[in-house]
Amino acid sequence: MISKPLFKTAIKQNFIVFLIIVAVLMVYLPIIITMYDPSTQESLNQILDVMPQALIAAMGFSEIGGSLIDFIASYFYGFLILLLPMIYVIIVCNRSIASLVDKGSMAYLLSTPNTRGRIVRTQALFVIISTTVMIALVAAAGLAISNTVFPGELDVKAFLLLNLGALLLYYAITGIGFLASCLFNDTKYSLMVGAGLPVAFLVIQMISDVGEETRFLKYFTMFTLFDPDKIITGEGFILQFAALVIIAAVLYVLGYNVFNKRDLPL
Amino acid sequence: MPVIEISGLTKDYGNHKGIFGLSFTVEEGEVFGYLGPNGAGKTTTIRHLMGFLNPDKGSARIFGMDCRTQRAEIMNHLGYLPGEIAFFDGMSGMEFLNFMARMRGLKDTSLSDRLIDMFELDAASRIRKMSKGMKQKLGIICAFMHDPRVLILDEPTSGLDPLMQKKFSELILEEKKRGKTILMSSHSFEEVERTCDRAGIIRQGELVAIENMRDLRQKRRKVFLLEFDSPASAASFAGSGGFNILEVNENIVKLSILGNASGLIKALEGYNVLDLNTETSSLEDIFMHYYGDNAKTMASV
Repeated sequence: MISKPLFKTAIKQNFIVFLIIVAVLMVYLPIIITMYDPSTQESLNQILDVMPQALIAAMGFSEIGGSLIDFIASYFYGFLILLLPMIYVIIVCNRSIASLVDKGSMAYLLSTPNTRGRIVRTQALFVIISTTVMIALVAAAGLAISNTVFPGELDVKAFLLLNLGALLLYYAITGIGFLASCLFNDTKYSLMVGAGLPVAFLVIQMISDVGEETRFLKYFTMFTLFDPDKIITGEGFILQFAALVIIAAVLYVLGYNVFNKRDLPL
Repeated sequence: MPVIEISGLTKDYGNHKGIFGLSFTVEEGEVFGYLGPNGAGKTTTIRHLMGFLNPDKGSARIFGMDCRTQRAEIMNHLGYLPGEIAFFDGMSGMEFLNFMARMRGLKDTSLSDRLIDMFELDAASRIRKMSKGMKQKLGIICAFMHDPRVLILDEPTSGLDPLMQKKFSELILEEKKRGKTILMSSHSFEEVERTCDRAGIIRQGELVAIENMRDLRQKRRKVFLLEFDSPASAASFAGSGGFNILEVNENIVKLSILGNASGLIKALEGYNVLDLNTETSSLEDIFMHYYGDNAKTMASV
């Protein structure tokens, strides 16, 4: 159903950027987890009180509870997890189809006995699997670090749900990037949509967090469907997760069909 | 049954760009030259044969299979050289050929090794660092390496030096002997003349002629430039009659001959000829020569 040599080539081509993003994540994650100290939570909150509230809120750092999971959810899953892997998925989605069509190397792929469908499936699978591996690495590292530094303190179930939520959000984000990649002949336009939309969502999400006056903006960003606070407190995330899965599925299927049917300027 | 069959193929891009009602066939074992100036629709036709484009009207078929819907199956027996070369970033020539072999499920690399030798390709170097000619050679090897039954080559000799062009012609003739069906596009008449059995001439998206190469050659006029020792002798030769004199400029006479040149050689006896050149005629010129007034009216459209 997929082309193994093409999949291997995708791994080779995207290995470096994958490693860089994972490395940066692995620098931040231990720093943030080790920063947690129940006794200094109080003083940390005091520091945050002194800083401009709007800025703190925009970075997703507001309302920090006392436990380790609150701390991680707020500091890591409030902003960093939305930003860093996003850089990776934007690059990889654009490379997966649009850049091959733009540069013309797709002509070589299509001069082999592989259907367009098989090529799209291979590229889509690579995007999905590599993103999954990235989030899984973050989750595994988070568990390992927490268990080493603060044995038994982490709410493991909530932490795993947090990562599942982030992963589903990324499936939906890559769905946007992949559809854009399948749709446009020009990487310029593929990036405009594939990168522009997720970045705009992130900015809207930050603005909507600033205060009550801008709260209504949350209805204009997909990132509202991933709410770390609600996930760890267990108050209603099932619907949001389901929505993310449906969005992702629709976008990928759309991309697949568009690429199968359209004219290619090769 | 023809191997390549294009019937009523139309793709309208607006502004008279595209191809309009193209129909022609290429028989098994035939080498078909596809001639036309840049932008005439050669590459658009080839893109249909490769299944990259959906035709507005008509169809393109290879081995009786539809090029758009059964492309993957056709590609088992087809070699393609794109007009614009774009490989994968960061691969070396050898890595690319190996990758393409795996994409085709090809295990035997003996043919590609032989072609690498033949074209003296430095396959170990990075594609990004290769010259245009080097990349073209890599593309040619990639098109022939799986010993396909049909070859579709878009301007195959562009970027090749004359020596490599000759080698390429040899390769085409060799493959022709082995019964391959080949369609190659070109804007150079000479290139097609060396290798092809038949040529189709496309102009502004419409097929204006399909000719047997032997017939074309017989109809072909050659233009000679003769340099005499003085304007006086040039004028006297031009005045002697019997030739189609195109132009007299000081001591240089330009004339055209249809077919045999021995009459010209006899007539030049007694003259002091400093230099004799044939003019390489552009496709447009050749076109005019073959199709005369008809072509002129078409050119003015």
